[in-house]
Amino acid sequence: MESVVNWFYPLIQAILNGLLTGALYALIGMGMALIFGVMRIVNFTHGAFLMLGMYVSYVFFLKTGINPYLGFMVSGAILFVIGYAVYMGLLRRIPGQVDFMVILVTLGLALIITDGVQLVFGADYHQINLPLVARNFRLGTQIFVNAPWLLSFVIALVLAVALYLVVTHTMFGRAARAIAQNPYPSPLMGINVNRVQAISFGIGAAAAGVAGALLLPVFYLYPGVGSQFELKSFVMVVLGGMGSIQGAAIAGLVLGVVESLTSLYWGNEWALAVDFVIFILVLSLKPSGIFGSQRA
Amino acid sequence: MVLLEAKHVSKRFGGLKAVNDVSFAVSRGEITFIVGPNGAGKTTLFNLITGVVHPDSGSIYFQDQDITKLAPDQAAKLGIGRTFQIVKPLRNLTVLENVMLGAFLRTSKPAQAEEEARGILTFLQMEKFLHLPARGMGLPMLKRLEIARALATQPKLILLDEVVAGLPTVEAIKLAMLLKRLPEWGISAIGGIEHVMQVVMKIADRVIVIDRGVLIAEGKPQEVVDRPEVIEAYLGPKYKEIGL
Amino acid sequence: MSHRQFIAAAGFFLLSFAVPLVVHSDYTLQILFRVFLFAALGLAWNLVGGYAGQLSLGHAAYFGVGAYGLALLSKVGIPPWLSLFLGVGLAVISAAIIGLVSFRLRGPYFALCTIAFAEVVRLVAKNLPDVTGGDVGTQVPLLFTESSIKSFYISGVLLTGLAFVLTAWIERSKFGYYLMAIREDEDTAMSVGVNTSRVKLWSLLISAALTAIGGALYASLFLFIVPDQVMSLDMSVEIAIVPMLGGAGTLFGPVIGSIVLETAAEIFKNIFQEAHLLIYGVLVVMVVIFLPEGIAGTIANKLRLFKKAPAGSLAAPVPVRPEEEAERTAFRK
Repeated sequence: MESVVNWFYPLIQAILNGLLTGALYALIGMGMALIFGVMRIVNFTHGAFLMLGMYVSYVFFLKTGINPYLGFMVSGAILFVIGYAVYMGLLRRIPGQVDFMVILVTLGLALIITDGVQLVFGADYHQINLPLVARNFRLGTQIFVNAPWLLSFVIALVLAVALYLVVTHTMFGRAARAIAQNPYPSPLMGINVNRVQAISFGIGAAAAGVAGALLLPVFYLYPGVGSQFELKSFVMVVLGGMGSIQGAAIAGLVLGVVESLTSLYWGNEWALAVDFVIFILVLSLKPSGIFGSQRA
Repeated sequence: MVLLEAKHVSKRFGGLKAVNDVSFAVSRGEITFIVGPNGAGKTTLFNLITGVVHPDSGSIYFQDQDITKLAPDQAAKLGIGRTFQIVKPLRNLTVLENVMLGAFLRTSKPAQAEEEARGILTFLQMEKFLHLPARGMGLPMLKRLEIARALATQPKLILLDEVVAGLPTVEAIKLAMLLKRLPEWGISAIGGIEHVMQVVMKIADRVIVIDRGVLIAEGKPQEVVDRPEVIEAYLGPKYKEIGL
Repeated sequence: MSHRQFIAAAGFFLLSFAVPLVVHSDYTLQILFRVFLFAALGLAWNLVGGYAGQLSLGHAAYFGVGAYGLALLSKVGIPPWLSLFLGVGLAVISAAIIGLVSFRLRGPYFALCTIAFAEVVRLVAKNLPDVTGGDVGTQVPLLFTESSIKSFYISGVLLTGLAFVLTAWIERSKFGYYLMAIREDEDTAMSVGVNTSRVKLWSLLISAALTAIGGALYASLFLFIVPDQVMSLDMSVEIAIVPMLGGAGTLFGPVIGSIVLETAAEIFKNIFQEAHLLIYGVLVVMVVIFLPEGIAGTIANKLRLFKKAPAGSLAAPVPVRPEEEAERTAFRK
């Protein structure tokens, strides 16, 4: 019995924690996957959007006292508008829409946002104190569920399902999927490609922003906070199959668990490294299956 | 003298048998045309010969050497040149540079590559365009550029995928007349073509007809088109239309 | 390289060598060192990213291996200069491994894969404190004992000169044509006998070696390095942005890019403090939208000054053909 307690409960706890984190990852990954699917671009601004969402929620909390579990809606709405505007004002104007150039612009934009925030708020770490953060639920005798993580898990899950339903069941979703399959849909289909791409980019940014807001109570806030999540979203999008939002969502949950187990058995500092090793393995072992037009 | 031989070659993509147990041989100094509608398996056959894809079964020999598993660059080194149905020029390089790229297969000296490229471009009557970037060219010139680039590799066999497709008739005839001279330089050719065009009948030594991945007839152009089964089953309407 | 270009380049490098005779301020020399360092790094990246068109966002790995190679090997008693060259060797070996895996991928997958490798390298360096000093960092020996900032500056000019001459030579050689062919259309390149994997790998090995030398110089100047500085994604991005801004796939582009970027960073430094990358972002976005062929490419088109160099400027707007699109999207189903 003693030995079971020694290895079994930590394992279950780690898996549980992983799933809780994974739901947030899933949201981030789905945003990236939607953008990739509809626009075929790797969005290097994703981490900056997440960070912005965190700051929006942070400022909102400071000014109104409303905590991020409601404030995430403000982050989402503002980030949607920012994403939409970025697409309409910038990405749409990239000559020829060459991969290279799009990547360059999203990278440049990320630098502008990150360093712009740093200019306004400074490079210092911030944190908000919610009483909720210290609260735990107990499952049985050995398993604990941290309240803020549970809350963010539920919200992220609801939003992830909602996003999935939007893509599968609405006019916008149909148009987005049509563009994902053929970027030059017939004018007869009545699709305004620019508009659909702008909305997709907005939703992708909003997903990152919401995830950022939900992370705020349990994380430190600083201008560079987004990059680690951005890197993870690349991993998720590749694991899930480029452009598949369900795939990215599942990959997010898997990644959460993998990281959690890595932390348990190997140390927290190796979690991200393991992510990338998995990523490289998938890229190199299944390059033809999931990825790119390898050969005609 | 057999130059290229395909033995019972098959290739499937998912559930589709793109090429199904096809065998044929091409002799040195011959111009052969593979005729079949879009999707009949011509491009797949060319991709199999040039090593872009490898057959599921069967084997391919070039100058008695097994080339079934070779990579595209190795096939090119052995002397198999090709053009692409959907033209693939190096858009931001000039016409001359495009062709020099081919010539670099046999020389490392830029000056020599340039000289050879100029010769080939002159043969193809493109000397006016030497220093223009490929990205601004029209389809007729891009088709010629494909041929020029492949010829610059000094191939023994050149695969011409839909090389006259989409060209105005006059241009197609002009090009065909140029291609007819390839055997003079010891170059054999396999062309792929959708319709049995008059021009093809004039320059082809032999015609192979494939349909849905299966070889259904082969022989001299006139024999093949005269075969009732080919006319009936496959060429009929188009054949009459063209009024050959 | 045309006659005029040759004269321009020769004049530029001669003047650059003469700078320390006139400029004595350590501060100014250090900024100028940075300009040349990033010009050299940009030229190195340009071989892979510009000429071969393979968007590497993981060059910080080679930079970091060069820097850490010098630091760690000299720590075990190997003389600094020998450590530098051994470090470069290590960087080339890592490039071979990274290239073998990532060059099988195309487009954005390649870029992501290079990021992943660089991140693994950084995280390993961070997480092995016994070997690398981890997050605390490690000391780097000084490569020059006398009038060190001048020596660093001169070595920066020399490295840029080396990378420049190498690029000029490659641009006119068969190898250079092969690189450009790969960028333009890999299928076409293969159809004329180009062993694309091998050619890409060679370009990366050369690029990694030059980048590692740059990393070692940088580390030695600052005497102390940490993984998050020399192996960060920001470093990779900075290395890539320099030539893209100046004109990817052009001979002069990286040099121009570095001069513009580093000067701008210096001018705005007092305004933006730590947020110096902000100005990079603004420049990058403006260049893409307004000068899509990069600075060198645009100048060339306007003045026909650097004739032919930008023949294959990456940035040239290539209309995307529907059939290509269809191919690119085919994998998704």
